[in-house]
Amino acid sequence: MGGPAYDCLTNPLGAVRFSFGNALSSGYDPASSHGKDWGVVDLFRHYFSDESAISQVPILDSSSIKWVQPNTLVRFRGMIQDMLGNEFYAGAYKDGSTWRTNKYSDVSQFPDGPSSETQVWERRLLYCVPVPGRNQWTECSSIELKNRFLDLTGQNREKRARVDEEMTDSMDSNTLEAGLNGSPFKKMKAGEGTSSASESQVPRTDNAPQSSALPPATSTDSLPCLVKIYDSPESDLKLNDVVEFLGVLTFDPNTMMDMDSPGDNTDDFSEAESVQRPSGKVPRLHCLIHRKLETQHFLHGSSLSTELKSPQMFKEIRESLMKHLTGLLGNDHIAAELLLLHLLSKVHGRVDNVAVGKLSLNLTHLNKESMSIFGTQLRDALKSLLPFTQSIPLTIEYLNTASLGPKKDYGTNRLVPGVLQIADGTHLILDETELQPGTLNSVGVENANLLKNLLECQKVEYDFQYYKMEMATDAQMLIFSEGKSNIMPADMVLPFQPSQVNPLQVIAPETAQAWRCYLATCKSLSHSIGQELQQVLENDLVAARQTDRSLGSQDLSRLLTMARMMSVSYGETTLSLEHWQMVLELERLRKERLK
Amino acid sequence: MASDSPPANTNDGPSSPGENASSPIGNTYSSPSSLRSRRRARSSTPSQFATPPPPSRLGVPSSTPPTSRPSAARSNRPATPSHTDEPPPSSDDGGEDGADDATPTFVWGTNISVQDVKSAIEMFVKHFREAKESSDDLFREGKYMASIRKVIEIEGEWIDVDAYDVFDYDPDLYNKMVRYPLEVLAIFDIVLMDIVSSIDRLFEKHVQVRIFNLRSSTSMRNLNPSDIEKMISLKGMIIRSSSIIPEIREAVFRCLVCGYFSDPIIVDRGKISEPPTCLKQECLAKNSMTLVHNRCRFADKQIVRLQETPDEIPEGGTPHTVSLLLHDKLVDNGKPGDRIEVTGIYRAMTVRVGPAHRTVKSTYIDCLHIKKASKTRMAAEDPMDVDNSLRRVDEDVELDEEKLKKFEELSKQPDIYEKLARSLAPNIWELDDVKKGLLCQLFGGNALNLASGANFRGDINILLVGDPGTSKSQLLQYIHKLSPRGIYTSGRGSSAVGLTAYVAKDPETGETVLESGALVLSDRGICCIDEFDKMSDSARSMLHEVMEQQTVSIAKAGIIASLNARTSVLACANPSGSRYNPRLSVIENIHLPPTLLSRFDLIYLILDKPDEQTDRRLAKHIVALHFENAESAQEEALDITTLTSYVSYARKNIHPKLSDEAAEELTRGYVELRKAGKFAGSSKKVITATPRQIESLIRLSEALARMRFSEWVEKHDVEEAFRLLRVAMQQSATDHATGTIDMDLINTGVSASERMRRDILASSIRDITLEKMQIGGSAMRLSELLEELKKHGGNINTEIHLHDVRKAVGTLASEGFLVTEGDRIKRI
Repeated sequence: MGGPAYDCLTNPLGAVRFSFGNALSSGYDPASSHGKDWGVVDLFRHYFSDESAISQVPILDSSSIKWVQPNTLVRFRGMIQDMLGNEFYAGAYKDGSTWRTNKYSDVSQFPDGPSSETQVWERRLLYCVPVPGRNQWTECSSIELKNRFLDLTGQNREKRARVDEEMTDSMDSNTLEAGLNGSPFKKMKAGEGTSSASESQVPRTDNAPQSSALPPATSTDSLPCLVKIYDSPESDLKLNDVVEFLGVLTFDPNTMMDMDSPGDNTDDFSEAESVQRPSGKVPRLHCLIHRKLETQHFLHGSSLSTELKSPQMFKEIRESLMKHLTGLLGNDHIAAELLLLHLLSKVHGRVDNVAVGKLSLNLTHLNKESMSIFGTQLRDALKSLLPFTQSIPLTIEYLNTASLGPKKDYGTNRLVPGVLQIADGTHLILDETELQPGTLNSVGVENANLLKNLLECQKVEYDFQYYKMEMATDAQMLIFSEGKSNIMPADMVLPFQPSQVNPLQVIAPETAQAWRCYLATCKSLSHSIGQELQQVLENDLVAARQTDRSLGSQDLSRLLTMARMMSVSYGETTLSLEHWQMVLELERLRKERLK
Repeated sequence: MASDSPPANTNDGPSSPGENASSPIGNTYSSPSSLRSRRRARSSTPSQFATPPPPSRLGVPSSTPPTSRPSAARSNRPATPSHTDEPPPSSDDGGEDGADDATPTFVWGTNISVQDVKSAIEMFVKHFREAKESSDDLFREGKYMASIRKVIEIEGEWIDVDAYDVFDYDPDLYNKMVRYPLEVLAIFDIVLMDIVSSIDRLFEKHVQVRIFNLRSSTSMRNLNPSDIEKMISLKGMIIRSSSIIPEIREAVFRCLVCGYFSDPIIVDRGKISEPPTCLKQECLAKNSMTLVHNRCRFADKQIVRLQETPDEIPEGGTPHTVSLLLHDKLVDNGKPGDRIEVTGIYRAMTVRVGPAHRTVKSTYIDCLHIKKASKTRMAAEDPMDVDNSLRRVDEDVELDEEKLKKFEELSKQPDIYEKLARSLAPNIWELDDVKKGLLCQLFGGNALNLASGANFRGDINILLVGDPGTSKSQLLQYIHKLSPRGIYTSGRGSSAVGLTAYVAKDPETGETVLESGALVLSDRGICCIDEFDKMSDSARSMLHEVMEQQTVSIAKAGIIASLNARTSVLACANPSGSRYNPRLSVIENIHLPPTLLSRFDLIYLILDKPDEQTDRRLAKHIVALHFENAESAQEEALDITTLTSYVSYARKNIHPKLSDEAAEELTRGYVELRKAGKFAGSSKKVITATPRQIESLIRLSEALARMRFSEWVEKHDVEEAFRLLRVAMQQSATDHATGTIDMDLINTGVSASERMRRDILASSIRDITLEKMQIGGSAMRLSELLEELKKHGGNINTEIHLHDVRKAVGTLASEGFLVTEGDRIKRI
């Protein structure tokens, strides 16, 4: 195939084959290797060792899919939604007397005759979706890359135009489905939709008018991707991990047509085929290298993260963020303090059913009216600060109809996503102010239990029909309610007391970026405590318990979590007495308000 | 041998592997006797076949279409033995002969000789005897010869062969069988047919071999390309099964012109070659043949999807699945939700799609044998469930040698008891003695069934009473998770029938049926009942029978039944006044009938006492949890899965007996305990121990011995049991007035000293009334009476409350000494 062997960007498969040839000549034996890596991973890892090289690779999303060419290198950022098991493929075969490889591709490059000798290798299939609740600011714009790529492929443009069109259409049919996916009410229906082959059998032209009617906004975060993983230990990638995959894109609408044509034997194993079926509509990525994504990776001005070094910097940004939050919360300073601590919380350890480090917040004394003012403002503010946010309205109707927990559909052999299948670190807003008296049906009770379990243990039960499986989930949960929420017993309960409504401030993009960076950095800080202070803490806790017998171990645990967050919010990695006392003071103020 | 090069074949070289898989066996079955004769002839000149066929002829195993799998083909059976002697259908003839000519006698790519394998199998079938059999009768028939006879008698179609037997007899044969199942099993079937026809020449059915119980079982996750075409065994859960698919095996065609029926045409690799012309010489009409459906031969086929069992899924993963292909008798052997163990051949085939050649393989397991496994998480001992025919296939197979060794080591540790207690609900702080009690409950004592019919339960019942917020419910939840077969209910939402059993009328048939309740369902497990005090009285009364006799009896609507409910009860209750009032007795604190209370072996009071020491430990623990590595902050403890399997292993395999020393200690301790009631000059009114306690003590000490995997209950076990009982009793059965243990408190709800006090009070009231009132005279207010009593003082040294007076008055009224009129009393 044409192109220089080492242009990893545009002809990655060429590079793969070239290195395979090299490996063969240096004694690599495909017959006994079981498909182990022969140096491709190192090659690409070396090539993309720094961030700037990686940024040259276009990110696959619903807009870039229109111009990205198959068999080129792309990046996909998403959450592992389902694992489809292992797939065996003819990894290497003999073409005459030389070995060829099919690794990192779906179809073999050379037609293999019936006489060829084949080696069966395996790869893992992961079904990835864009991270649920992903906010606008995390998206990379690939405009410049697009232009570059279009220039590069300019000569083929005419030829590609038709193909492009076809792809767009099929993509739109995809977004149609994903649009349904977005709404929890239609979840089940969408699950059926993915499995049914009927859609693809509909002539393409019929789809066109429908898709054009779709607003472009909904199509932004809808592109799922089937990632095929090679040479990676199973423990590396877990369900709900947010990962960036870098690999070879294959998206061939023609295959889809073939897939659905009834074969004489395929009927028998239709279940086995269902694994393959979505790949006709979903792009496939043969992953070369991957890395787990932290919030920092979403911040484009990566220079900022280096600036956050001195405690002074932390203090300044903290102050400005606090000011912003206090403004949002109608000058309720305590609420803003607690909110900040809440935003910095993450589960950093689990002992049995106790998730250490969670800090959910319940703001009470909110009603429908005040929610429409403060709630919406806060929601928007959090959207601009955190990478993944979602809000769940706690109404009877919603609880009775929504499918919050993911569920395994054995008909299609797929995990149907639920609202609570979220990436670690997702922020959830639960709005209880709209809750009216009513009857919960069995679904509603189950959903309420799921939410409560998530709040208390940070675990979500996945329904595998014959049994349930608990998945550890790390979600920050913020609850708005009129009285203290009994359905959602949060760690911190605070009656919200705004003194005034502040006009909406306009935030400079740089400031927002700094805040995001601050939150992400603080969250990732490690934390410890000195020996002497440990003693002080113990004494204080004992004293607190001696005076107030109602304090349980959960309350004490919460105090320590708050202390940790407080300390971290000043960019410090060891707890100081000052911060501990701030927490105790904050707690005293909170208690006072509760009276 | 390379992972995936097709392990070759017994007798056909020049065909693609697809044919490899199907044709030898297909041939075998279509004409076993003729093949046999050919084989025999061949054996004289083995050298000519010894060279492997050219490698180029052996491509990918991928081209095997699903329909030509050997076991599928295996179900082709000849109509009659005589039929097989007829020349095979012409369409099949040429290919078969060609195949035969080039047949090597060695399995290709190896030095496994077909003859050797055949004779090894013959030896195995004819001579294998189980070890225990050989002693009583050397001349008895071998195990499998006997089962062949049985199969012939009942006209069965298969023989189950335990792979362990094969291994015991001939490890080499076992290895060959596992590595080259297609070939070896084909030979196995031939051998069986030979033997069958030698016993009964007229036996028509075709007997197949079904291997089960392989020595090693793989996990679904570890299946990899090197397992293809190997015999494997794995466990899983059926999640979906297809409807039964009839698959054509033999087709019969009829000429539309002359009505001539063709001979049955065997399906070859999923294709039927329709004769282009009529085969009758007189007719020879072209394109006239039509399929006659009702003369064709069909076989059942089913595709089942198997999923990993939850315990095999690593953290952060989703379960893997694999397809199973079932044939004939295996069809419908399991339904969705069943846990099974499958033995079969792992196979792969190419997904054939479209013009672009796809490289993906889909895999499935061609099933040979299916065994259903029990559903319980922790093996519950139940002798009735053990299937004797599958002696080695018990749950303990799961415990491999390595694990067993680990357990043995653990049990030898001197501090195993402490360690187990620590591992139990490690996140719940303090309550060490309660945890130890719960641990005893998990391990349980030995149930005893005397020949006289008397039963002694081995299950230990525990009641936790305590202040709110002392993590009682958490403990309950934890035990529920651990226990073999547990039901968790809340007293508030449970009714009597919901707990025990109820009779219902089937709406369709009108038959009365028994529906089991929570207690019956948790037979051999632990039934956890939260909010025990909130339970309705009728529901609670149902528990009396369960907790002592361990049965549930029903006599309703024509059904008189006694169901087993051999369950331990773990209940927790809140004090009636929401907080425990130390001035009142247990009975008064929890409004439970003493009859029920006495059935609990251990009653723990979990009180939230302000204790700086405890608080400090709690604070230390929480600080450690937060600031050190959370996982390491935990003390060295067993994880839940180890704990579960440790407990289940002990429950199943360890049955400790009382040693003489322990029995002596038990008697001594019991006597001492009873003596304890005698001091303080209370003249035998206090009973500190009852026979029920001695039973509890035996159970507890047995459980303690079990924890050490000890077959004997030692003296120190008994001592610890006494300590546990004393700790529990001291908290619950202490008479607050005197500070001594008083079992009467549990048994009657009234302590001896309290009874004494009441007597005294009653007699003083009697004195006062005698003194102050005339018969039929004016009434006296109770408050006045109280004042009088206080003034009187005398022999009442404790403070008197109005309700005490009211009680005493009630006693006097029942004696007919006085009458009460609301708040007043009158002497009669």
